Amino acid sequence: MIWKRSLLVALLAITGLALETTLFGSLTLTGTKPELLLLITVALAIGEGPALGATAGFALGLATDLVLELPQGLSALTFTLAGYAVGRVRMHVQTPTAWLPMALVSVTTFAAVLFYGGISFLLGEPISVFRSLRHAGLAAGYNALLTPFVFPLVRGLAARLRPRMTEVIR
Amino acid sequence: MIKMFDRTRRLRLLITLLVLASVTVVTIDFRTEGDGPLDKVGRAALTVLGPIQEGLMTIGRPIGNFFAGFTQVGSLKERITALEGEKAALRNERELIQDIQRENESLRALLDLNERLGFETLAAQVIGVSPSNFERTIFIDQGRAEGVRKDMPVLAGEGLAGRVVSVGRSSATVLLITDRASAVAARLSSSGRTGIIEGQNTGILRFELLDPATLVSLGDKVVTSGHDRGLYPSGIPVGSVVDVPPPGTNLSRAVSVQPFVDFSSLDHVLIVVGQGRRERER
Repeated sequence: MIWKRSLLVALLAITGLALETTLFGSLTLTGTKPELLLLITVALAIGEGPALGATAGFALGLATDLVLELPQGLSALTFTLAGYAVGRVRMHVQTPTAWLPMALVSVTTFAAVLFYGGISFLLGEPISVFRSLRHAGLAAGYNALLTPFVFPLVRGLAARLRPRMTEVIR
Repeated sequence: MIKMFDRTRRLRLLITLLVLASVTVVTIDFRTEGDGPLDKVGRAALTVLGPIQEGLMTIGRPIGNFFAGFTQVGSLKERITALEGEKAALRNERELIQDIQRENESLRALLDLNERLGFETLAAQVIGVSPSNFERTIFIDQGRAEGVRKDMPVLAGEGLAGRVVSVGRSSATVLLITDRASAVAARLSSSGRTGIIEGQNTGILRFELLDPATLVSLGDKVVTSGHDRGLYPSGIPVGSVVDVPPPGTNLSRAVSVQPFVDFSSLDHVLIVVGQGRRERER
Protein backbone atom coordinates (compact mmCIF):
# COMPACT_ATOMS: atom_id res chain seq x y z
CA MET A 1 0.00 0.00 0.00
CA ILE A 2 2.66 2.48 1.03
CA TRP A 3 4.86 1.75 -1.96
CA LYS A 4 2.07 2.62 -4.37
CA ARG A 5 1.47 5.95 -2.65
CA SER A 6 5.20 6.62 -2.46
CA LEU A 7 5.57 5.79 -6.15
CA LEU A 8 2.69 8.14 -6.97
CA VAL A 9 4.20 11.04 -5.02
CA ALA A 10 7.71 10.39 -6.41
CA LEU A 11 6.41 10.27 -9.99
CA LEU A 12 4.44 13.46 -9.52
CA ALA A 13 7.37 15.20 -7.82
CA ILE A 14 9.83 14.33 -10.60
CA THR A 15 7.39 15.15 -13.41
CA GLY A 16 6.20 18.34 -11.72
CA LEU A 17 9.71 19.60 -10.98
CA ALA A 18 10.96 18.70 -14.44
CA LEU A 19 8.06 20.57 -16.06
CA GLU A 20 8.34 23.50 -13.67
CA THR A 21 12.04 23.95 -14.38
CA THR A 22 11.80 23.49 -18.16
CA LEU A 23 8.54 24.17 -19.97
CA PHE A 24 7.01 26.47 -17.37
CA GLY A 25 10.33 28.21 -16.77
CA SER A 26 9.71 30.35 -19.84
CA LEU A 27 5.91 30.20 -19.79
CA THR A 28 5.42 33.10 -17.44
CA LEU A 29 2.28 35.13 -16.97
CA THR A 30 3.62 38.69 -16.89
CA GLY A 31 6.70 37.45 -15.07
CA THR A 32 4.99 34.94 -12.76
CA LYS A 33 5.46 31.17 -13.07
CA PRO A 34 2.77 28.69 -12.07
CA GLU A 35 2.97 26.85 -8.74
CA LEU A 36 2.71 23.46 -10.41
CA LEU A 37 3.66 21.31 -7.42
CA LEU A 38 1.18 23.15 -5.24
CA LEU A 39 -1.46 22.49 -7.87
CA ILE A 40 -0.59 18.79 -7.80
CA THR A 41 -0.82 18.81 -3.99
CA VAL A 42 -4.26 20.40 -4.11
CA ALA A 43 -5.42 17.94 -6.79
CA LEU A 44 -4.26 15.03 -4.62
CA ALA A 45 -5.90 16.50 -1.53
CA ILE A 46 -9.23 16.95 -3.34
CA GLY A 47 -9.16 13.43 -4.70
CA GLU A 48 -7.55 11.49 -1.88
CA GLY A 49 -8.30 13.41 1.31
CA PRO A 50 -6.32 15.38 3.91
CA ALA A 51 -3.92 12.61 4.95
CA LEU A 52 -2.46 12.07 1.50
CA GLY A 53 -2.86 15.78 0.74
CA ALA A 54 -0.67 16.72 3.70
CA THR A 55 1.86 13.90 3.17
CA ALA A 56 2.19 14.59 -0.57
CA GLY A 57 2.36 18.31 0.19
CA PHE A 58 5.27 17.72 2.56
CA ALA A 59 7.13 15.55 0.06
CA LEU A 60 6.49 17.79 -2.95
CA GLY A 61 7.30 20.92 -0.95
CA LEU A 62 10.55 19.46 0.36
CA ALA A 63 11.49 18.36 -3.17
CA THR A 64 10.81 21.91 -4.38
CA ASP A 65 12.99 23.38 -1.64
CA LEU A 66 15.86 21.01 -2.29
CA VAL A 67 15.89 21.12 -6.07
CA LEU A 68 15.16 24.79 -6.53
CA GLU A 69 17.64 25.85 -3.81
CA LEU A 70 14.93 27.59 -1.78
CA PRO A 71 15.07 28.01 2.00
CA GLN A 72 14.66 24.40 3.11
CA GLY A 73 11.41 23.39 4.76
CA LEU A 74 9.41 26.50 3.86
CA SER A 75 7.65 25.07 0.82
CA ALA A 76 7.29 21.77 2.71
CA LEU A 77 5.45 23.54 5.55
CA THR A 78 3.31 25.58 3.14
CA PHE A 79 2.34 22.64 0.93
CA THR A 80 1.65 20.42 3.97
CA LEU A 81 -0.80 22.92 5.42
CA ALA A 82 -2.32 23.56 1.98
CA GLY A 83 -2.84 19.84 1.32
CA TYR A 84 -4.35 19.28 4.75
CA ALA A 85 -6.65 22.31 4.53
CA VAL A 86 -7.92 21.46 1.05
CA GLY A 87 -8.50 17.84 2.07
CA ARG A 88 -10.51 18.97 5.10
CA VAL A 89 -12.58 21.40 3.06
CA ARG A 90 -13.26 18.76 0.40
CA MET A 91 -14.49 16.38 3.13
CA HIS A 92 -17.22 18.84 4.04
CA VAL A 93 -18.41 19.47 0.49
CA GLN A 94 -21.31 17.12 -0.18
CA THR A 95 -22.07 17.99 -3.83
CA PRO A 96 -18.94 19.14 -5.61
CA THR A 97 -19.40 21.18 -8.80
CA ALA A 98 -17.13 21.23 -11.84
CA TRP A 99 -15.77 24.60 -10.71
CA LEU A 100 -14.79 23.40 -7.23
CA PRO A 101 -11.26 22.25 -8.17
CA MET A 102 -10.51 25.55 -9.94
CA ALA A 103 -11.89 27.58 -7.05
CA LEU A 104 -9.97 25.54 -4.44
CA VAL A 105 -6.77 25.68 -6.51
CA SER A 106 -6.89 29.45 -6.97
CA VAL A 107 -7.83 30.25 -3.35
CA THR A 108 -5.21 27.83 -1.99
CA THR A 109 -2.50 29.10 -4.33
CA PHE A 110 -3.22 32.71 -3.38
CA ALA A 111 -3.18 31.89 0.37
CA ALA A 112 -0.12 29.62 0.09
CA VAL A 113 1.98 32.16 -1.81
CA LEU A 114 1.12 34.83 0.75
CA PHE A 115 1.84 32.42 3.62
CA TYR A 116 5.21 31.54 2.08
CA GLY A 117 6.00 35.24 1.64
CA GLY A 118 4.97 36.00 5.22
CA ILE A 119 7.15 33.25 6.72
CA SER A 120 10.07 34.29 4.51
CA PHE A 121 9.63 37.84 5.76
CA LEU A 122 9.65 36.63 9.38
CA LEU A 123 12.90 34.79 8.63
CA GLY A 124 14.49 38.02 7.44
CA GLU A 125 13.97 37.86 3.66
CA PRO A 126 13.31 41.27 2.07
CA ILE A 127 9.75 40.77 0.80
CA SER A 128 7.59 43.52 -0.73
CA VAL A 129 3.90 43.30 0.18
CA PHE A 130 2.78 44.63 -3.20
CA ARG A 131 4.97 42.21 -5.12
CA SER A 132 3.80 39.31 -2.96
CA LEU A 133 0.14 40.20 -3.55
CA ARG A 134 0.72 40.57 -7.29
CA HIS A 135 2.63 37.30 -7.46
CA ALA A 136 -0.03 35.53 -5.38
CA GLY A 137 -2.84 36.81 -7.59
CA LEU A 138 -1.11 35.93 -10.85
CA ALA A 139 0.00 32.49 -9.60
CA ALA A 140 -3.58 31.80 -8.43
CA GLY A 141 -4.93 32.73 -11.85
CA TYR A 142 -2.25 30.73 -13.66
CA ASN A 143 -2.86 27.64 -11.52
CA ALA A 144 -6.62 27.96 -12.07
CA LEU A 145 -6.02 27.99 -15.82
CA LEU A 146 -3.84 24.87 -15.60
CA THR A 147 -6.32 23.00 -13.37
CA PRO A 148 -8.46 21.54 -16.22
CA PHE A 149 -5.29 19.98 -17.69
CA VAL A 150 -3.42 18.88 -14.56
CA PHE A 151 -6.33 17.89 -12.32
CA PRO A 152 -7.69 14.97 -14.46
CA LEU A 153 -4.15 13.62 -15.00
CA VAL A 154 -3.32 13.62 -11.29
CA ARG A 155 -6.71 12.18 -10.35
CA GLY A 156 -6.36 9.47 -13.00
CA LEU A 157 -2.88 8.51 -11.85
CA ALA A 158 -3.92 8.56 -8.18
CA ALA A 159 -6.90 6.34 -8.95
CA ARG A 160 -4.66 3.81 -10.72
CA LEU A 161 -2.24 3.72 -7.80
CA ARG A 162 -4.94 3.74 -5.13
CA PRO A 163 -4.62 0.75 -2.76
CA ARG A 164 -7.39 -1.79 -3.10
CA MET A 165 -9.74 -2.34 -0.16
CA THR A 166 -8.26 -5.84 0.41
CA GLU A 167 -4.83 -4.25 0.83
CA VAL A 168 -6.25 -1.74 3.30
CA ILE A 169 -8.07 -4.35 5.40
CA ARG A 170 -4.99 -6.53 5.51
CA MET B 1 -17.74 5.97 16.22
CA ILE B 2 -14.56 4.89 17.95
CA LYS B 3 -13.04 4.23 14.51
CA MET B 4 -13.94 7.78 13.39
CA PHE B 5 -12.28 9.30 16.47
CA ASP B 6 -9.32 7.11 15.86
CA ARG B 7 -9.02 8.36 12.25
CA THR B 8 -9.30 11.98 13.35
CA ARG B 9 -6.61 11.46 16.01
CA ARG B 10 -4.31 9.74 13.51
CA LEU B 11 -4.83 12.56 11.05
CA ARG B 12 -4.05 15.18 13.69
CA LEU B 13 -0.98 13.24 14.72
CA LEU B 14 0.13 13.01 11.09
CA ILE B 15 -0.30 16.71 10.40
CA THR B 16 1.46 17.58 13.67
CA LEU B 17 4.39 15.36 12.73
CA LEU B 18 4.61 16.81 9.23
CA VAL B 19 4.47 20.39 10.49
CA LEU B 20 7.09 19.59 13.13
CA ALA B 21 9.29 17.96 10.48
CA SER B 22 8.95 21.03 8.25
CA VAL B 23 9.76 23.41 11.10
CA THR B 24 12.76 21.25 12.05
CA VAL B 25 14.06 21.40 8.47
CA VAL B 26 13.53 25.19 8.43
CA THR B 27 15.42 25.52 11.74
CA ILE B 28 18.28 23.28 10.65
CA ASP B 29 18.61 25.16 7.35
CA PHE B 30 18.43 28.52 9.11
CA ARG B 31 21.13 27.60 11.59
CA THR B 32 23.46 25.75 9.22
CA GLU B 33 26.23 27.66 7.52
CA GLY B 34 27.12 26.27 4.07
CA ASP B 35 25.98 22.81 3.06
CA GLY B 36 23.35 21.23 5.31
CA PRO B 37 22.56 17.52 5.57
CA LEU B 38 19.67 17.86 3.10
CA ASP B 39 21.74 19.58 0.42
CA LYS B 40 23.23 16.23 -0.57
CA VAL B 41 19.70 14.92 -1.09
CA GLY B 42 18.95 17.96 -3.25
CA ARG B 43 22.04 17.34 -5.38
CA ALA B 44 21.06 13.69 -5.77
CA ALA B 45 17.58 14.77 -6.84
CA LEU B 46 19.13 17.09 -9.40
CA THR B 47 21.18 14.21 -10.78
CA VAL B 48 17.99 12.27 -11.35
CA LEU B 49 16.18 15.26 -12.75
CA GLY B 50 18.98 16.38 -15.08
CA PRO B 51 18.40 13.99 -18.01
CA ILE B 52 14.63 14.42 -17.75
CA GLN B 53 15.02 18.21 -17.82
CA GLU B 54 17.33 17.95 -20.80
CA GLY B 55 14.85 15.81 -22.72
CA LEU B 56 11.94 18.04 -21.78
CA MET B 57 13.85 21.15 -22.78
CA THR B 58 14.53 19.71 -26.24
CA ILE B 59 10.88 18.85 -26.75
CA GLY B 60 9.36 21.68 -24.80
CA ARG B 61 11.48 24.65 -25.85
CA PRO B 62 9.67 25.31 -29.16
CA ILE B 63 6.31 24.88 -27.45
CA GLY B 64 7.41 27.03 -24.54
CA ASN B 65 8.68 29.74 -26.84
CA PHE B 66 5.45 29.70 -28.81
CA PHE B 67 3.26 30.08 -25.73
CA ALA B 68 5.72 32.43 -24.06
CA GLY B 69 4.92 34.85 -26.85
CA PHE B 70 1.31 34.95 -25.67
CA THR B 71 1.93 34.94 -21.97
CA GLN B 72 4.60 37.63 -22.17
CA VAL B 73 2.60 40.01 -24.33
CA GLY B 74 2.22 42.47 -21.42
CA SER B 75 5.87 42.54 -20.46
CA LEU B 76 6.97 42.56 -24.12
CA LYS B 77 4.76 45.58 -24.81
CA GLU B 78 6.29 47.39 -21.84
CA ARG B 79 9.74 46.47 -23.11
CA ILE B 80 8.93 47.67 -26.62
CA THR B 81 7.67 51.00 -25.23
CA ALA B 82 10.82 51.40 -23.12
CA LEU B 83 13.07 50.52 -26.07
CA GLU B 84 11.22 52.92 -28.35
CA GLY B 85 11.76 55.67 -25.78
CA GLU B 86 15.44 54.77 -25.58
CA LYS B 87 15.68 54.75 -29.39
CA ALA B 88 14.10 58.21 -29.61
CA ALA B 89 16.51 59.53 -26.96
CA LEU B 90 19.49 58.02 -28.81
CA ARG B 91 18.27 59.46 -32.11
CA ASN B 92 18.00 62.91 -30.49
CA GLU B 93 21.47 62.49 -29.05
CA ARG B 94 22.86 61.44 -32.44
CA GLU B 95 21.24 64.44 -34.11
CA LEU B 96 22.67 66.70 -31.43
CA ILE B 97 26.14 65.23 -31.98
CA GLN B 98 25.80 65.65 -35.75
CA ASP B 99 24.72 69.24 -35.22
CA ILE B 100 27.69 69.90 -32.93
CA GLN B 101 30.02 68.26 -35.47
CA ARG B 102 28.61 70.41 -38.27
CA GLU B 103 28.95 73.53 -36.11
CA ASN B 104 32.49 72.51 -35.23
CA GLU B 105 33.39 72.05 -38.91
CA SER B 106 31.80 75.38 -39.80
CA LEU B 107 33.76 77.18 -37.04
CA ARG B 108 36.98 75.46 -38.04
CA ALA B 109 36.51 76.53 -41.68
CA LEU B 110 35.77 80.05 -40.49
CA LEU B 111 38.98 80.13 -38.44
CA ASP B 112 40.98 78.74 -41.37
CA LEU B 113 39.60 81.39 -43.68
CA ASN B 114 40.35 84.13 -41.17
CA GLU B 115 43.87 82.78 -40.71
CA ARG B 116 44.40 82.71 -44.46
CA LEU B 117 43.03 86.17 -45.17
CA GLY B 118 44.53 87.82 -42.09
CA PHE B 119 41.69 90.25 -41.39
CA GLU B 120 40.73 91.64 -38.03
CA THR B 121 37.35 89.99 -37.51
CA LEU B 122 34.52 89.68 -35.05
CA ALA B 123 32.65 86.41 -34.73
CA ALA B 124 28.87 86.52 -34.78
CA GLN B 125 26.11 84.01 -34.56
CA VAL B 126 23.27 83.94 -37.04
CA ILE B 127 20.13 84.61 -35.04
CA GLY B 128 17.63 84.83 -37.84
CA VAL B 129 16.95 84.60 -41.53
CA SER B 130 14.64 86.89 -43.44
CA PRO B 131 11.33 85.16 -43.95
CA SER B 132 10.77 87.07 -47.19
CA ASN B 133 11.13 85.35 -50.56
CA PHE B 134 12.23 88.60 -52.14
CA GLU B 135 15.34 89.36 -50.15
CA ARG B 136 18.27 87.33 -48.93
CA THR B 137 19.30 88.70 -45.56
CA ILE B 138 20.32 87.26 -42.23
CA PHE B 139 20.36 88.68 -38.70
CA ILE B 140 23.43 88.40 -36.52
CA ASP B 141 23.95 88.87 -32.78
CA GLN B 142 26.64 91.60 -32.93
CA GLY B 143 25.84 95.28 -33.30
CA ARG B 144 27.00 98.81 -32.77
CA ALA B 145 28.02 98.08 -29.19
CA GLU B 146 30.56 95.56 -30.43
CA GLY B 147 31.93 97.87 -33.14
CA VAL B 148 29.94 96.65 -36.10
CA ARG B 149 29.40 99.30 -38.78
CA LYS B 150 27.39 99.47 -41.97
CA ASP B 151 29.00 98.00 -45.13
CA MET B 152 31.42 95.80 -43.23
CA PRO B 153 32.03 92.59 -45.22
CA VAL B 154 30.81 89.36 -43.68
CA LEU B 155 32.56 86.02 -44.19
CA ALA B 156 31.28 82.53 -43.70
CA GLY B 157 33.29 79.32 -43.51
CA GLU B 158 34.23 79.03 -47.15
CA GLY B 159 34.25 82.62 -48.36
CA LEU B 160 32.30 85.83 -48.77
CA ALA B 161 28.78 85.81 -47.35
CA GLY B 162 27.66 89.44 -47.75
CA ARG B 163 27.88 92.83 -46.05
CA VAL B 164 26.27 94.57 -43.14
CA VAL B 165 23.40 96.75 -44.32
CA SER B 166 21.89 97.91 -41.06
CA VAL B 167 23.22 97.97 -37.52
CA GLY B 168 21.30 97.88 -34.27
CA ARG B 169 22.71 98.20 -30.77
CA SER B 170 23.46 94.54 -30.37
CA SER B 171 22.41 93.03 -33.69
CA ALA B 172 22.83 93.67 -37.36
CA THR B 173 21.36 92.74 -40.73
CA VAL B 174 23.56 91.24 -43.42
CA LEU B 175 22.69 91.39 -47.09
CA LEU B 176 23.84 88.13 -48.64
CA ILE B 177 25.68 88.09 -51.95
CA THR B 178 22.83 86.00 -53.36
CA ASP B 179 20.40 88.89 -52.93
CA ARG B 180 19.39 90.66 -56.16
CA ALA B 181 20.50 93.97 -54.61
CA SER B 182 24.03 92.72 -53.99
CA ALA B 183 26.90 93.59 -56.33
CA VAL B 184 30.53 92.72 -55.59
CA ALA B 185 33.57 93.67 -57.61
CA ALA B 186 35.35 90.42 -58.40
CA ARG B 187 38.01 88.80 -60.56
CA LEU B 188 38.88 85.39 -61.88
CA SER B 189 41.73 84.14 -59.74
CA SER B 190 43.32 82.36 -62.75
CA SER B 191 43.49 85.25 -65.19
CA GLY B 192 42.75 88.26 -63.02
CA ARG B 193 39.99 89.40 -65.40
CA THR B 194 37.49 91.49 -63.51
CA GLY B 195 33.73 91.90 -63.42
CA ILE B 196 30.78 92.27 -61.08
CA ILE B 197 29.22 89.41 -59.11
CA GLU B 198 25.48 89.93 -58.76
CA GLY B 199 22.91 88.06 -56.75
CA GLN B 200 19.79 86.64 -58.39
CA ASN B 201 17.78 85.65 -55.34
CA THR B 202 18.71 82.04 -56.15
CA GLY B 203 21.61 79.86 -55.13
CA ILE B 204 23.63 80.83 -58.21
CA LEU B 205 25.46 84.14 -58.74
CA ARG B 206 25.85 86.02 -62.03
CA PHE B 207 29.38 87.12 -62.89
CA GLU B 208 29.26 89.93 -65.41
CA LEU B 209 32.66 90.11 -67.07
CA LEU B 210 33.89 93.50 -68.15
CA ASP B 211 35.67 92.02 -71.16
CA PRO B 212 33.29 89.75 -73.11
CA ALA B 213 36.20 88.02 -74.79
CA THR B 214 37.68 86.74 -71.56
CA LEU B 215 38.48 83.05 -71.58
CA VAL B 216 36.63 81.34 -68.78
CA SER B 217 36.71 77.67 -67.85
CA LEU B 218 34.38 75.64 -65.69
CA GLY B 219 35.68 75.48 -62.12
CA ASP B 220 37.58 78.77 -62.33
CA LYS B 221 37.71 80.42 -58.92
CA VAL B 222 36.25 83.89 -58.41
CA VAL B 223 37.56 86.19 -55.67
CA THR B 224 36.82 89.78 -54.67
CA SER B 225 38.89 92.34 -56.60
CA GLY B 226 38.74 95.18 -54.08
CA HIS B 227 37.74 97.59 -56.85
CA ASP B 228 34.57 98.79 -55.18
CA ARG B 229 36.13 101.62 -53.23
CA GLY B 230 37.27 99.32 -50.47
CA LEU B 231 33.86 97.87 -49.70
CA TYR B 232 35.17 94.32 -50.03
CA PRO B 233 38.92 93.79 -49.55
CA SER B 234 40.53 91.89 -52.41
CA GLY B 235 41.20 88.17 -52.38
CA ILE B 236 38.13 86.94 -50.54
CA PRO B 237 36.91 83.70 -52.18
CA VAL B 238 33.42 84.05 -53.64
CA GLY B 239 32.70 80.96 -55.69
CA SER B 240 33.55 78.87 -58.73
CA VAL B 241 32.32 79.05 -62.29
CA VAL B 242 29.68 76.41 -63.03
CA ASP B 243 28.25 77.53 -66.36
CA VAL B 244 29.98 79.32 -69.24
CA PRO B 245 27.79 80.42 -72.15
CA PRO B 246 29.67 80.76 -75.48
CA PRO B 247 30.91 84.28 -76.29
CA GLY B 248 28.35 86.15 -78.40
CA THR B 249 28.21 89.49 -80.10
CA ASN B 250 26.99 91.28 -76.97
CA LEU B 251 29.08 93.95 -75.36
CA SER B 252 28.88 92.13 -72.07
CA ARG B 253 29.12 88.49 -71.06
CA ALA B 254 28.00 86.77 -67.88
CA VAL B 255 28.89 83.37 -66.43
CA SER B 256 27.20 81.50 -63.57
CA VAL B 257 29.06 81.13 -60.30
CA GLN B 258 28.29 78.73 -57.48
CA PRO B 259 29.06 80.47 -54.16
CA PHE B 260 31.50 78.73 -51.81
CA VAL B 261 29.23 79.49 -48.88
CA ASP B 262 26.35 77.16 -48.20
CA PHE B 263 23.70 79.72 -47.32
CA SER B 264 21.21 77.08 -46.25
CA SER B 265 23.22 76.22 -43.12
CA LEU B 266 24.75 79.43 -41.87
CA ASP B 267 25.36 79.33 -38.12
CA HIS B 268 28.39 81.49 -37.53
CA VAL B 269 29.94 84.31 -39.53
CA LEU B 270 32.92 86.64 -39.23
CA ILE B 271 32.48 90.37 -39.61
CA VAL B 272 35.57 92.03 -41.07
CA VAL B 273 36.13 94.97 -38.74
CA GLY B 274 39.66 95.84 -39.88
CA GLN B 275 42.38 94.93 -42.36
CA GLY B 276 44.48 93.39 -39.55
CA ARG B 277 47.68 91.69 -40.75
CA ARG B 278 47.20 93.05 -44.28
CA GLU B 279 47.38 96.63 -43.04
CA ARG B 280 50.48 95.91 -40.99
CA GLU B 281 52.14 94.18 -43.94
CA ARG B 282 51.42 97.17 -46.20
